[in-house]
Amino acid sequence: MSNRQRDIFFVANEVNELGGVARWQAQLAGLLADRGHRVTIVGIAPPEVPMDLGENPPFDTVTLYQVRPPGKWRPKGLLDRANVAARRQESARDKGVRRSTEKLSALFRAARPGAMIVVTQVWAMEWVALADTAGHPVIGMSHESYEYSKQSSRFQRVEKFYKDVDRLLLLTQEDADLWAGRGLNNVGFMPNPLPMMPEVASPRTEKVVASVGRLSHQKGIDMLLDAWAEAAPRQPGWRLKIYGAGELEAPLKAQCTELGLDDSVEWAGQTSDVPGALRGASVFIQSSRGEGFPLALLEAMACGLPCAAFDCAPGVHEIIEDGVDGLLARPGNTSELARQVVRLMADAELRDSMGELARANVQRYTPESITQRWEDLFTFLER
Amino acid sequence: MTNAAEEVSGTTPDISVVVIVYNDAARLPTAVRSVLDQSLRNVEVVIADDCSTDDSFQVAQRLAEADPDRVRAIRLAENSGGCGEPRNQGIKVARGRYVMFLDSDDILDPHACRNMLEAADRTGADLVSGKCVRVHVDHRNNKRVDWYPWLYRTTRTFDSIAELPDLFVFDTLSTNKCYRREFLQEKELTFPRGIHYEDLLFSAQAYLAAERITLIPQTVYHWNVVEKTEAKSISNRRHEINNFADRLEIHRRVDAILKRRGLEDLRLHKDVKFLKHDLVLYLRDLPFLDDDYRHRFAEMANEYTRDFPRGAFDSLDPIHAICAFLLLKEDWPNLMPAIDTLINRNKVSSPLAEVGGRVYWCADHLDDPHARDILDVTDRGYHSTPLDRLNLRNQLTGYQESATGVVLDGQIVNPLGVVPPGASMKAELEFKARRRSLRSYRVPVQELRHDGEWLSWHAEVPLRQTLRPLGIIDEVWDIRLRLTVDGRTTAGKITAGNTDLEETGAIVVRPMLTRATADRLKPEVSAKGHLAFVLTQHGRAAQVGRALVQRNLQGPPARAAKTVLRKARDARRRLDSGPRKIQGYHQMVKVLPVRKGTVVFESHLGKQYSDSPRAIFEELRRRGAPITAIWSYEGKNPPKDYPQGVELVQRWSWKYLRALAQAEFWIDNQGFPLKLAKRPETTYIQTWHGSALKRMGFDEPKYRIMAENEQQDYQKALDRFDHFVVRTEHDVRTLARAYRLPEERLLRVGYPRNDALVQARGAAEPPAAARELAAQLGLRPDLPVVLYAPTFRAAADGRVQSFEAPFDVDAFADRFGDRFTLLVRSHYLNKVTLPPSVAGRIVDVTGVPDITPLLLLADALVTDYSSVMFDYALTERPIVFYAYDWEEYAHDIRGTYFNLLEEAPGPVARTEEELLSTLSDLDAVRAKYSDQVKDFVARYGEYDRGDAAARIADRFFGPAGGTTR
Repeated sequence: MSNRQRDIFFVANEVNELGGVARWQAQLAGLLADRGHRVTIVGIAPPEVPMDLGENPPFDTVTLYQVRPPGKWRPKGLLDRANVAARRQESARDKGVRRSTEKLSALFRAARPGAMIVVTQVWAMEWVALADTAGHPVIGMSHESYEYSKQSSRFQRVEKFYKDVDRLLLLTQEDADLWAGRGLNNVGFMPNPLPMMPEVASPRTEKVVASVGRLSHQKGIDMLLDAWAEAAPRQPGWRLKIYGAGELEAPLKAQCTELGLDDSVEWAGQTSDVPGALRGASVFIQSSRGEGFPLALLEAMACGLPCAAFDCAPGVHEIIEDGVDGLLARPGNTSELARQVVRLMADAELRDSMGELARANVQRYTPESITQRWEDLFTFLER
Repeated sequence: MTNAAEEVSGTTPDISVVVIVYNDAARLPTAVRSVLDQSLRNVEVVIADDCSTDDSFQVAQRLAEADPDRVRAIRLAENSGGCGEPRNQGIKVARGRYVMFLDSDDILDPHACRNMLEAADRTGADLVSGKCVRVHVDHRNNKRVDWYPWLYRTTRTFDSIAELPDLFVFDTLSTNKCYRREFLQEKELTFPRGIHYEDLLFSAQAYLAAERITLIPQTVYHWNVVEKTEAKSISNRRHEINNFADRLEIHRRVDAILKRRGLEDLRLHKDVKFLKHDLVLYLRDLPFLDDDYRHRFAEMANEYTRDFPRGAFDSLDPIHAICAFLLLKEDWPNLMPAIDTLINRNKVSSPLAEVGGRVYWCADHLDDPHARDILDVTDRGYHSTPLDRLNLRNQLTGYQESATGVVLDGQIVNPLGVVPPGASMKAELEFKARRRSLRSYRVPVQELRHDGEWLSWHAEVPLRQTLRPLGIIDEVWDIRLRLTVDGRTTAGKITAGNTDLEETGAIVVRPMLTRATADRLKPEVSAKGHLAFVLTQHGRAAQVGRALVQRNLQGPPARAAKTVLRKARDARRRLDSGPRKIQGYHQMVKVLPVRKGTVVFESHLGKQYSDSPRAIFEELRRRGAPITAIWSYEGKNPPKDYPQGVELVQRWSWKYLRALAQAEFWIDNQGFPLKLAKRPETTYIQTWHGSALKRMGFDEPKYRIMAENEQQDYQKALDRFDHFVVRTEHDVRTLARAYRLPEERLLRVGYPRNDALVQARGAAEPPAAARELAAQLGLRPDLPVVLYAPTFRAAADGRVQSFEAPFDVDAFADRFGDRFTLLVRSHYLNKVTLPPSVAGRIVDVTGVPDITPLLLLADALVTDYSSVMFDYALTERPIVFYAYDWEEYAHDIRGTYFNLLEEAPGPVARTEEELLSTLSDLDAVRAKYSDQVKDFVARYGEYDRGDAAARIADRFFGPAGGTTR
């Protein structure tokens, strides 16, 4: 198949908001640029906590708004309909939307035939839906599991705004099937590429279990601590290193103290050297309430760490084959997560065999193979 | 969103869609358009016209001229009369790598081809199948029904159809599929000619030939269904029976292939499906046909099914098996009622027969053991169901017009003599409009006679005077007969059977909206075989008036009127909806004062008058405490055992909400509706309903993984508890922690419900309440009593699994029946069915609302993981644990707080044999475990001291009067 060089647009909520989506986006944009495509990342609003894109990224970036636009005004009751201030603000908002979609339309119209528009987050789709896409195929994406999106308004918005895109990509076949069950017949799936591949694996010699993730409700560090309270007494000498920062830091630390775990838990804070952190550990643990296609697991496995994780999303059991290259526990069952991490702590041979297998098995997500899949998809959509 | 693909790769289309047409010029362009507008551009259309007599072919040619690169039209030299041959011809000229079929009255989903191609290229499948949706185009909102959706939940690939027999037997359509064209050619797959059900054979052949099959969950095909508005008549029913021969022929051809290929398992699945579905389609029509046709049908069917293996019958629903069996025997008198039950599943239509402690569909054929297996309906529990829960077959035996209306005769079945001779009986007929039951009319049944297996009735119905329909919207009237026997009432529709109604005349009626709407009432048979009446127009005035009304019902003023009506109805619904009620409740809290001294009691969400709320209530009543008690109940009417002289309110009624809004105390054992906030002046005493073995509250995974706001809502509901009763420090470590209850809210007084158990400890004989219950249940007074009280099992999705005794009840009764009586009490969410053979020896007590008297009555307890173990231990009598599935139970998603196998204060039987041998020597259990039981009480029940109700009454309602204690 010929790989023609294309104009490719990524349209996201922000160009570089610190987090998984922005990391994935910058990585993929770079990979496609390396293959000779002309890549532009369009952000609707400026980021709140920006992620460093490095010197001279191989792609262009455009941000439509200088300040984040307010949410749409929905009058509450009859009286509120007469709210003049709100009406004035709303009409200003409308004007802003018109201006920014006009910018988008201009970008799309200027693109060469064969261009592709990838909308990476559903909020951004609200603008793309209003813009003139100049006949270029539009690919929508949802970066979280079907179940987890149910917990937010994104579920309804995916149904509403993505129903007419040329292809809606989910992270796994299982998620795509669930959306198809909701009547979205344009679904397909595309896994994330490995974010890194360190030269050397972890020696798995330190008696350290590592967790990397924001200290937020979603990442379930409270459940991690409960699981650790059951696991730690069974394997004395092991420590749990929790990397990450976040809004729940204080209550989590209090919980840790209350559980009497201060001696075996280390709050390692946010790190810019994830591979380094992982090299210092022998086991990785993930206790999230919801995920999409978790980069943290990919990274840990790439570093040769065996993982114990809650099976909270199709992406998790897509990455880890339970009992083969990692161990899974049913979501929220902290005792089971404890049992699984104890199995890994107790058995050096198991750690080594699963860790090596993990490192080998995540090769199916190499950047080269995922980039090829994207190019194949572009060709397919032109048939 | 793609406007146009600028270039279509190569000259070979990816997919050829063969669109077949016969005399359907009007719809053909829509079907073709649905292909040309596919998101996959590289497709071609081959229109195959089956020699239409209208201008279908001209339309097809015009479509081809308009898009010559993508559309071609061919025409068969002569009409083939089916769908098969045009498709065969279409395949011949197709050029695409893949082939799909489309009928001229259906359409493809816009992404169908893209999804098919993606799946086929990715998996290399010979055949890809996607979901089909049936669109009811004449239905108001174009109702859509997925075709076998359970086959299409996930993307799956198989290397042989043998891996998914359900696909083979159920989805026999050829149209929702995409075939590799080379595959069709290599395997020489074609549709048969000149026979109905050509899809069935083609699909079977394709499935069997395919070396890889992929299923996708995306909808690919929109099957437009026009429901036949024409009523089923005897003639079109006969016609359907004639098709049966074709159907059998196709089945035989498929069977031959299966036999050649040695696919026994697929054959069995197909046999089962034939009995379950194909046969049933025709059985449903039998009641309406004459003997000749029935006989011909039976001959054809039996010739085919006679050689089915017995295994095919084993996996059927009992009623399917019974029908198939009785058909084989051509036992029409027993078969016709069975078909009634087949159509109306909850109906009892046969007098049944009790033989040797089992219940059978009929008394015939029972000398054959195979027949006994099939006809055994003991497990349906008919014999233990009271009359008012039975739906009895009521067959019309006579229909006559009279001067004033009609004269009806009928027979109601009397299964197992549920209506005893000499019972006081009364019956009336009830007429109700089917759509929007605005009004109903009742007329008495003049004669009602007990004829043993039947109750015969005769009614003269003065329809002309009594029935006053509106004239529009209430065109159809259903009739039910309400039979009351000794105070219990059952109501059922009347089966028309083969009473000839087609020749009957119409009854003159006078609708309220005058005779311009309708002037006659005609009998009709509903789809389920029941007698009904329909308004018709006979006179010219009525016909003209009706046409006018019909026209006006569609006009703008009528539409406006309907909108108003709908809005009024919706407003009414909203008023009684959950959110509105919750809002109303909070309004009441704001504006209404607290009523001092009112206490709202509730047990198990209003399902019972029982447990600790009852014990506290009775203690307060005994003391004459100055309270106004209000009890909540669930369901339409309060159960009979609810207390007298107190206010009873239905759960979730406005009265209930008002009572809660103004109460000084809330007392319950599970939780008042979570969304109702409690006002600060109200004191909430949560007695709870059992110590925990299974993890609860925030220790349960489902609460742990909740989103933050959901967790906060749940915590808010828990924070309403001002006091939480605990009976042991184990509760403090488990429940109090799981519900995040602070220390100061815990009431360490023990469970009020358990006071009676503590007081009964060491007593020579059970207290009066228990003795009374024993007499009520008719237990043998000379035998001890053992209570079996297991907890429920939840399926993976959290639903309660149905109860099945985990031991052979007949063997149990034979072994122990003369040594003790076994009481079986399953969880209140379950239903227990015991065969008549064990009557008196094993007794179902699931319906006894309060368990405490049962515990008092029992000389020993058998349980598994139920919290009843904590309570019963207080009596210090023996407990046997029957933990046959402990590992499964303990390791399901929730997990347990402790290991029962280690802590159990009695023998733990892991198998049925162990259970039986343990029960054979209960004295040994008593002797061996008496210390362990005491120890268990000390660890898991130290606050249950027999005075819990009194202590709660003292603390919250003032000390008891001097005279009572």
